[in-house]
Amino acid sequence: MSNSRTVILFWQLAILAVVLVVWQWGFEWSKTLLPKAYVPKILDPYFVAKPSLIWQSFLRLGCFADATGFTACIKGSDNNLWLATLVTLKNTWWGFLFGSASGIAAGLVLGRSDFLSRVFSPYIVALNSIPRIALVPLVILIFGLGDLSKIATAWLVVFFVVFFNTFEGTRAVDRDQIAAARLLGASEFTVLRTVVIPSALAWVFASLLPAVSFALIGVIVGEFIGAERGLGKLIIEAEARANASEMMVAIFVMMFVGILLAIAVRSLQSYLLRWQPQFEASA
Amino acid sequence: MIAAPSQSLALARDEGRAAAARTRIAVQGLAKRFNASGREFVAVDDVSFEVKQGEFVALLGPSGCGKSTILNMVAGLLPRSGGRILIDGDTVETGEVNPRVGYVFQRDTLFPWRTVEQNIGYGLEIAGVPKSERTGRVATAVEKAGLAGFAQSFPRMLSGGMRQRVALMRTLILEPEILLMDEPFGALDTHTKLEMHKTLLEIWERERQTVLFVTHDLGEALTLASRIILLSARPGRLKEDFDVAIPRPRDPVAVRETAEFARLYSHIWHSLGEEFRRTRAD
Repeated sequence: MSNSRTVILFWQLAILAVVLVVWQWGFEWSKTLLPKAYVPKILDPYFVAKPSLIWQSFLRLGCFADATGFTACIKGSDNNLWLATLVTLKNTWWGFLFGSASGIAAGLVLGRSDFLSRVFSPYIVALNSIPRIALVPLVILIFGLGDLSKIATAWLVVFFVVFFNTFEGTRAVDRDQIAAARLLGASEFTVLRTVVIPSALAWVFASLLPAVSFALIGVIVGEFIGAERGLGKLIIEAEARANASEMMVAIFVMMFVGILLAIAVRSLQSYLLRWQPQFEASA
Repeated sequence: MIAAPSQSLALARDEGRAAAARTRIAVQGLAKRFNASGREFVAVDDVSFEVKQGEFVALLGPSGCGKSTILNMVAGLLPRSGGRILIDGDTVETGEVNPRVGYVFQRDTLFPWRTVEQNIGYGLEIAGVPKSERTGRVATAVEKAGLAGFAQSFPRMLSGGMRQRVALMRTLILEPEILLMDEPFGALDTHTKLEMHKTLLEIWERERQTVLFVTHDLGEALTLASRIILLSARPGRLKEDFDVAIPRPRDPVAVRETAEFARLYSHIWHSLGEEFRRTRAD
């Protein structure tokens, strides 16, 4: 009874309501109720803004409440919320795409070749030990302040995650299934296409979900360090003006972008892996 | 010897029988030694036999006698340590696939990401058979295996017996003239096993492929085979060779009531018993 859908939904909404109410009015109340020394700084709107201010900033940055009208406002600003979101989303997508495609390709090649995997193994371990974020300034130095450096940063973080999973997945393919395919007339390439890849796909997808979040992280960090546009740039600008509510707007938009990307990967996954029991319901 | 083109398969088979049963599989002085942690042990030792066109030969022996090893060497899946294997007069090369030979595994090797019909049609698909032709042939095979209504199912939705039927059809749809089977029904319960025997008997009595069937189940060997080759316990050596003169068509249940079944059963059981005792004495 206590875990019926309605009850769960009730508690979810209740938690949301409490958070929003405390966030909006908690600081004011605590000032009148508590001695000054106990007033929680974390609730100060100077640091964390508050829902009503965030909403106003959202309307302003998104050109919803501009005197000149929506279109004129969009054209008038070179890093409005829409453009920033689009740029960040686009760079995340390309970084994710290149990162996972190259990760899958490298994982398949090294997974199928004992020789190559043994030759490359120390280099891969070494490169993977570098904290990727440390490379961001270098990437910006090489590729400039534009979109290319953000895509390259996302690529860096995505590649290894996908590579390692594809490699393991390729290693874990059932040898008897490969033998069966051979005996049914499959060539080396056909075995790769019809047995190894579908079989490794479950492993690949296990990495794509975190990879898409990593791609977003890579792009945002790139935008922090040096960019002309994007949500990360929006945050850095707001920080310079100590404008917490604008930062919060960008953060919330990132959250939605992250959710959308995860849903996209998830639905592709449940279609391609519909032969697996855990995806049966959604197939 | 020149391979018959696949469209004249049936014709070739009839010719084969007419020409006083030519030899399809010839195993000569076959040996297999393994190295296990520095110590060499002999799995198969000097085994020779022949399988003629249209014969259903069961390779029977106690567990670990090397019968699957022999089959895998015949299929070219495993290199041999000594001796020769000829299929239609040509030496079997390890790693080379002979399109005239079909192989059915003991383990479930279906592709779980393919539906029943996609599994059955796999060989045709990769051979580039056009979809229009494939669809019809797959539908016939699905029907023949008694899997109507499950064509769109994924393997995990099927029982063990149904999965093995799919595996059988995946091999048979390519119309192999020679069929190698490695305890294909070993993992099934008794009832399902009898059902599978019925299906296999129906198919074989109609199509008369040349079959080499590995099993440790004496009842199964007597039910299906026209000849039984009995192997000794490790190292696997040829022990005895029997013809199973039970008339066809056979029914997997009725066959057990024939005098020939009873006679061979007790004879081979005795012989097999000696081998089991030897295995335990090791």
